[in-house]
Amino acid sequence: MTALTLAACSSSSDGDSDAGTPSGPVTVKVWAWYPSFQKVVDLYNSTHTDIKIEWTNAGAGQDEYTKLQTALKAGKGAPDVVMLEFQELPTYQLTKHLVDMGKYGANDLKSQYVDWAWKQVSQGDKVYAIPVDAGPMAMLYREDLFKQYGLSIPKTWDEYKQQAEKLKTASAGKAFMTDFGGNDGGFMTGLTWQAGSKPYTYDTSNPSTIGIAVNDEPAKKVMTYWEGMVAGGLADTKAYGTTDFYNGLGSGKYVTYLAAGWGPGYLASVAKTTAGKWRAAPLPQWTAGANDQGDWGGSSFAVTDQAKNPEAATKVAMEIYGATNTAAWKIGIDEAYLFPTATPVLESDAFLKKKYDFFGGQTVNDVFVPAYKAIAPFSWSPFNSYNFNQLTTGINGAIEKKTSWTAALDTAQANVTQYATQQGFKVQ
Amino acid sequence: MTQVETRSAAAPAVAGPAPRFKRGREAVTGWLFVAPFVVLLVAFLLLPMAYAFKLSLYRSTLIEGEHFALFENYTQAFKDPLVREGVVRVILFGLVQTPVMIGVALLAALLIDHATSRFSRIFRLAAFVPYAVPVVIGTLMWGFLYSKDTGPFGSVLHIDFLSSSWVLASLGNVVTWQWAGYNMIVLYAALQGLPREVYESARIDGAGPAQIAWRIKTPMISSAIVLATLFTILGTLQFFTEPLILQPLNPGSITQHYTPNVYAFNQAFSFQQYNYSAAISFLLGAVVFVGSYIFLFATRKRSAL
Repeated sequence: MTALTLAACSSSSDGDSDAGTPSGPVTVKVWAWYPSFQKVVDLYNSTHTDIKIEWTNAGAGQDEYTKLQTALKAGKGAPDVVMLEFQELPTYQLTKHLVDMGKYGANDLKSQYVDWAWKQVSQGDKVYAIPVDAGPMAMLYREDLFKQYGLSIPKTWDEYKQQAEKLKTASAGKAFMTDFGGNDGGFMTGLTWQAGSKPYTYDTSNPSTIGIAVNDEPAKKVMTYWEGMVAGGLADTKAYGTTDFYNGLGSGKYVTYLAAGWGPGYLASVAKTTAGKWRAAPLPQWTAGANDQGDWGGSSFAVTDQAKNPEAATKVAMEIYGATNTAAWKIGIDEAYLFPTATPVLESDAFLKKKYDFFGGQTVNDVFVPAYKAIAPFSWSPFNSYNFNQLTTGINGAIEKKTSWTAALDTAQANVTQYATQQGFKVQ
Repeated sequence: MTQVETRSAAAPAVAGPAPRFKRGREAVTGWLFVAPFVVLLVAFLLLPMAYAFKLSLYRSTLIEGEHFALFENYTQAFKDPLVREGVVRVILFGLVQTPVMIGVALLAALLIDHATSRFSRIFRLAAFVPYAVPVVIGTLMWGFLYSKDTGPFGSVLHIDFLSSSWVLASLGNVVTWQWAGYNMIVLYAALQGLPREVYESARIDGAGPAQIAWRIKTPMISSAIVLATLFTILGTLQFFTEPLILQPLNPGSITQHYTPNVYAFNQAFSFQQYNYSAAISFLLGAVVFVGSYIFLFATRKRSAL
């Protein structure tokens, strides 16, 4: 393919640069915050003469979205291709800022992705983004501390709690089973997703109607469970991403870390001193023997309505971390610790059989890949930042004031419903 | 800022009687001097304010798009319990914070003014250094110091400084640390300008150093105190950076609507409620304006501003 484009390019640039048509490569501006992304961009630029990527790291998560919202609102300054997490896509779909990439051949990729992942980015034949990475959840644990405190690997949440109680006694209250990051909406949603919670029924083909059930039974079950864990002194409540949290991961204060697919890399970078001591095991289940899974995070490349050349932008979005782009994925897997969504990459030996020194040589993807495949489809609301805000405000407030977590969910339900009505949605 | 404005604007007028052509030329020269300031004022204050006001009169929803809403956003802001909570918190904060801040600054200024040794210069610099540290960095640093597990105070005192019962005091501490030195320099400069012979006659009348400080020096720098207090009130009403930076450390106690400014910021940049955010900001601006005016009016005899 590269040879073809090379040939095409060289023939067109053979002299007639005065003809009025631009002869050089098309520049595509990309915003993304993937680690080691510069190398992937360099790789792309060195293998393409028709397109040149101009990359900007506009900040991670909310930082990028703030800039993007401002640029979209202003009508200029947005990139051609932008990295968006799955839960953000409906917001930009609804405000019609995303190009339907189906028009430029994105539907050809459908077969390369598992059903739920493709559903996150598409609507019928309309494709609003190309999935890149996902966050299937698993339980990372300190093997040495499990031995030291005489713990066994829990298979259900009940067992998880029993082990936590055992740990509390064995460590004289010094160690916690885990830390519950009530400031992370994605983490909490991942856990309720596993339990079967469906907070939103939303379909962008019928954009003005939405079903809201933030406080459904599975969500309440999960929150009641964690309220008990916290009240019993079995789980700590440090905010994720803070020094105290990292310190706890490194010092052995937390013996498990409920992580997403990108978690191993993250953990390896924030708790370097514990290298070799961690292992991965499947996320505990609500029902013994079940295989219910949840997702925490996951990202994609979308093309904005400010793209000057949407076709070239779509091509970039499809190719940067394309399923056949093994060289890019080598960087993505080895250096950026991405959890690939494309099945060919996911099932390649390079990923499936990769041994992680940080996990004592364990092939941890044995745990994450089956989890990824078992995730049930899920729909987000087009106002996810408000949704996450209500969730984190409610649960953090409940932790702080020691009030009921399920009551916090009820409040969130009422607030989100009010917000949706104000925004003009018909709430079902 | 207001003072600078009036003074520079008034400058050409004090030129006094002069031949007509000369006055005209002086006026032009005067305006030329003021021009850079006027341009900046218009570009970075008046225009954004006008734009924000226009934004605040519209309403944009995800489904129905944008429409003219007149004062709908303002009515909503008045009824919003989260705005009210923020306003009450900021007022409460200001009532405690302002006297503490000015008290600390005044005490430091009087002490340094009294001390004649060369150490006073070092103290003066030391008290001023926090102001030279950018607010964001200073706040982040306090965030580490406050940590219950790893911070030097929390691990000894077993106090969670960012828990809901402590957080307001902890924030107050950061603000005082940051700004007391600055206010101290303002007051110290005023003290330096006082005529020394007044102290001498006070001493002859039998006043001790404490009496001189409290009964002579303090009343004589009252206009500087009023100025420093005004700055503190303005800063408090716009309380923003410190809670925003410390918020991730304990989102349960520092909520996303902690102060009106933080709330407006989140409305705009987290929830895409630009119009509502503009209305809150405009209301806050009005409160700041009225608040500082009332303060100046109440202290007009002392302030000379």
